[in-house]
Amino acid sequence: FLIYYYILSAEAFVALKIAEAKFLSISKSGILPVKLQLLHERALHRGHLKLAQQICDELGVLASSVAGVDMELKTEASLRCARTLLAANQFSQAASVAHSLFCKCYKFNLHVENATVLLLLAEIHKRSGNAVLGIPYALASLSFCQSFNLDLLRASATLTLAELWLLLGSRHAKRALNLIHGAFPIILGQGGLELQSRAYIAEAKCYLSDMSISVSEDPDIVLDSLRQACEGLDAL
Amino acid sequence: MPEVPNPSIVKYSLINMETDEEEASRIVPFQLQFDKPVASQIKIAEWNPEKDLLAMVTEDSKILLHRFNWQRLWTISPGRCITSLCWRPDGKAIAVGLQDGSISLHDVENGKLLRSMKSHTTAVVCLNWEDDGGGEIADDNFYISKYEDRTSRFFPPPPRVPRVPGLVPGETGFMDESENLSQELSNSSHQRFNILCSADKDGIISFSIFGIFPIGRTDIHDLSVLCPLANKHVDCKLLNASICKVAFSKDLCHLTVLCSGELQVPGDDLHGFHCLTLDTSIFYRRRNELHQVAQQASNIEDLTEVIRASLFVMSKQWSDAMHTFHDKFDSLSNLIHVNGLDSTPQEEFLSLLGGARTSPAVHQFLENSLGEAGLKRITKLVCGAGKELQVIVLEHLQPAVEIIGFRLGELRGLSKWRSRYQGVGLDETLIDNATEKAGMLLIQVERFMRVLSASVQQFSNFFNWLHKCVKMLMSEPSDQHQLLAFNSELVILFLKYLYDQDPVKRLLEFSEVDQSIEVDVETMERVQELAHFGGFTDFDYLRRTLAKEFQQVESCFKEAFKMPFTTISKKILCQNLLPFFPVDPLPKSASSTVPTSISYYKGGAIEKQERFVDYVSFRLPDEPSSDLANCIVVTKCSMNDLQAVLLCVPDGYQCVDLSLYKECQLVLLLNGPSSVSESSEKACMMIVHADDLPFVSLPSSGASSPWKLEELKDSIVYLQMDSLKVRGIPHNVIAPLAVSASRGVACVFATRKRALVYILDEDEDEILDAE
Repeated sequence: FLIYYYILSAEAFVALKIAEAKFLSISKSGILPVKLQLLHERALHRGHLKLAQQICDELGVLASSVAGVDMELKTEASLRCARTLLAANQFSQAASVAHSLFCKCYKFNLHVENATVLLLLAEIHKRSGNAVLGIPYALASLSFCQSFNLDLLRASATLTLAELWLLLGSRHAKRALNLIHGAFPIILGQGGLELQSRAYIAEAKCYLSDMSISVSEDPDIVLDSLRQACEGLDAL
Repeated sequence: MPEVPNPSIVKYSLINMETDEEEASRIVPFQLQFDKPVASQIKIAEWNPEKDLLAMVTEDSKILLHRFNWQRLWTISPGRCITSLCWRPDGKAIAVGLQDGSISLHDVENGKLLRSMKSHTTAVVCLNWEDDGGGEIADDNFYISKYEDRTSRFFPPPPRVPRVPGLVPGETGFMDESENLSQELSNSSHQRFNILCSADKDGIISFSIFGIFPIGRTDIHDLSVLCPLANKHVDCKLLNASICKVAFSKDLCHLTVLCSGELQVPGDDLHGFHCLTLDTSIFYRRRNELHQVAQQASNIEDLTEVIRASLFVMSKQWSDAMHTFHDKFDSLSNLIHVNGLDSTPQEEFLSLLGGARTSPAVHQFLENSLGEAGLKRITKLVCGAGKELQVIVLEHLQPAVEIIGFRLGELRGLSKWRSRYQGVGLDETLIDNATEKAGMLLIQVERFMRVLSASVQQFSNFFNWLHKCVKMLMSEPSDQHQLLAFNSELVILFLKYLYDQDPVKRLLEFSEVDQSIEVDVETMERVQELAHFGGFTDFDYLRRTLAKEFQQVESCFKEAFKMPFTTISKKILCQNLLPFFPVDPLPKSASSTVPTSISYYKGGAIEKQERFVDYVSFRLPDEPSSDLANCIVVTKCSMNDLQAVLLCVPDGYQCVDLSLYKECQLVLLLNGPSSVSESSEKACMMIVHADDLPFVSLPSSGASSPWKLEELKDSIVYLQMDSLKVRGIPHNVIAPLAVSASRGVACVFATRKRALVYILDEDEDEILDAE
């Protein structure tokens, strides 16, 4: 369902209501996961982590207990669980959930999903401050994305990679900036508002970290990025 | 042996090629490939920059392409007078400038017309096509990653313009010409960034990327020129100027324009030859962004053409079929009238369907006017047309709209990157509008398909029923095995709604675009509901026809792509203007073609950045009053430091044409010696090393005369034949001289229709003194 990728606002829930009314005849199993996913996103966004965890559990329950069945739903639930743990800064727990998810996906040949899992692992390491461990995961995700033509996820992974490089020091600022600029067309064209804002903020960080750029001489490049980031976040 | 230099006249001796011992075997410079007759006199000739091919334009405006061995590859006649010619830097296409201001691009393989554009209103005098020279130059130390055109990963090759069935392919048929369009289309994705610069007689210079996407235009009369005079910078304007030559610098940062006209400075009117330098650095600084925008935009424009042609073809085919249908069935109305009945054909058919007695009008119509054979024909025609239309939609229209949507999505992403793309005129709002419009068009195509399918099905059903009626009337067995099934209710619907209305035509016809389609309230409510799912804000689209939607889409695209054009045009400014020498004002009709050549050579590397030095060389026009007859000027400019030298050809010789060659060499083509001698040499070609010449620095201000080159009168350099690389030619020669710096070859044309081809880098094999 396309509404899943919509921005997190009242509009999305209005659309959801209409869809529910229209597709009432279709079994609940179609709409309910989407609704739960939307609710989970909103909970994460607002910081209601306990609620988010509850929704995750509900989502997991929807799937059949038979092994190999409802794999997409199980993967989604597991992924969200890991994200919730990450939001709560429970890094090692999040990592272990993600690791076991990776193994499961690998076992069932869900390589496309694994691209997302690898990116999540990179995010976990990034948030825990360990750039050295995070970079290989980001690169692995990148190569998966390239093989499966997952352009938007690839741009997302590139952004994470750039943020990881920035963590390693200001001498990598140029490399990070190039990565971000390479990913900009797709992030701005196809990405969500949160991703776009994240990209602008990372760009601003690069400009600020770069020794060769004197911000006092040319403050506009930083300010422009931050301004565009604000626009995106305001809309959210 | 050097003479004592005379302060006013300097005889300059260049490298002495001869040595005393080898007097017996003179080295003859330039290897002659052949000396052949040509079918007609040639007025323009250009070598292909990548391959050994020579394109020539004859006096009667035919273009010939010859190989190096003079084998002819192809000939084409554009039908109009050709005024200029230029190759694309990769050698795969050639641009032809015409008298009426249009520029056409032709394929190198077979001369097929790829594209024709009306960029100017008067004759296109000069064309110059340059690319960005390759090599990833680190821009501000940021390595800009290569852009990838994602379309080929997600879509099959783009659709071509549909053929009109039954149309005989000919040179003037636009269908045939545009067949190769799509082939060349995908080529723009592989082309390096290049710009075609075209200049016309009225002083308008036009720029287009890949030669197909217009990106800028400037009128030299509108440029504000700062003319340094008497230590003051004054605002001047050019009047009545006509362009002779334009040339890009190799890095696309500058455009040198040679023009003749009147320069208005306060207190004086300078009539003569001027050299303008335009600042086109926007093309260099923004080449990546411009490249990406041009790639997407040019592909979108070409696909729009496919859509327009598809709509045209469909409209024509359907209206032809409907016309035939109505022609045939109108005779029923006449028959009804003749029979004195007061009903319509639909009513008659309905009563027949209902089982009533067949009226004599219908009877006569079905048995005589139409007959079984006639019915079969009309069925085949209408259903065939319907199928054709469906094929066109599925193979041409729909794929084109889908790819346009994708490409616009790419442009949308770029337009949101304001810090990069706003500067080149990619406007976020305009592109957003265009994207939504393209989406609407896709929906309209979908709706059209449904209406078309429904119509065709109804027609087919109606004809099946008629077939059964005809069979029954003729008392032939109407068993169900032979006849196709039909649905009576559908026949009723057909007679009520489709017999005298044409929803397909309504959606297709451009002439009916202003009629809106009625939409009921319930449907409108559903549309509003759907809007909540996002993606569009326009609720009225159902009221528009497909043709109208396309019209709106087209104008939307035009608006969006005009922005880069106007934005870039504003950024092309005049950097410098140098009045070179005075020329008496000629009447506009007289075309003075002064042989000129402009080239940019690599100067020394300064601060790790390659500098380009531009050389401009031309022959002074023959003015009887001038004491500078038979002179050639070579100017050299680097970093605003202008130097020049005035060369005089030896007595008895006249310079016919000249061309700058590689490594700062100048090739001259001279007629002479005029004194009739036993020597069989009536003309000659020579190479002068320009960087060995004694250039005189021309001060930018404080000169006695506003004309820059008047200073040189005091230091004319006389060329000495015996100290230069000279090759005699046994015929009298005329312009043009075609020289290729990249291939090292030259082609000389002689009067009485002859052509001689030389390899400039090699010398003739030693002529042994024997026999």
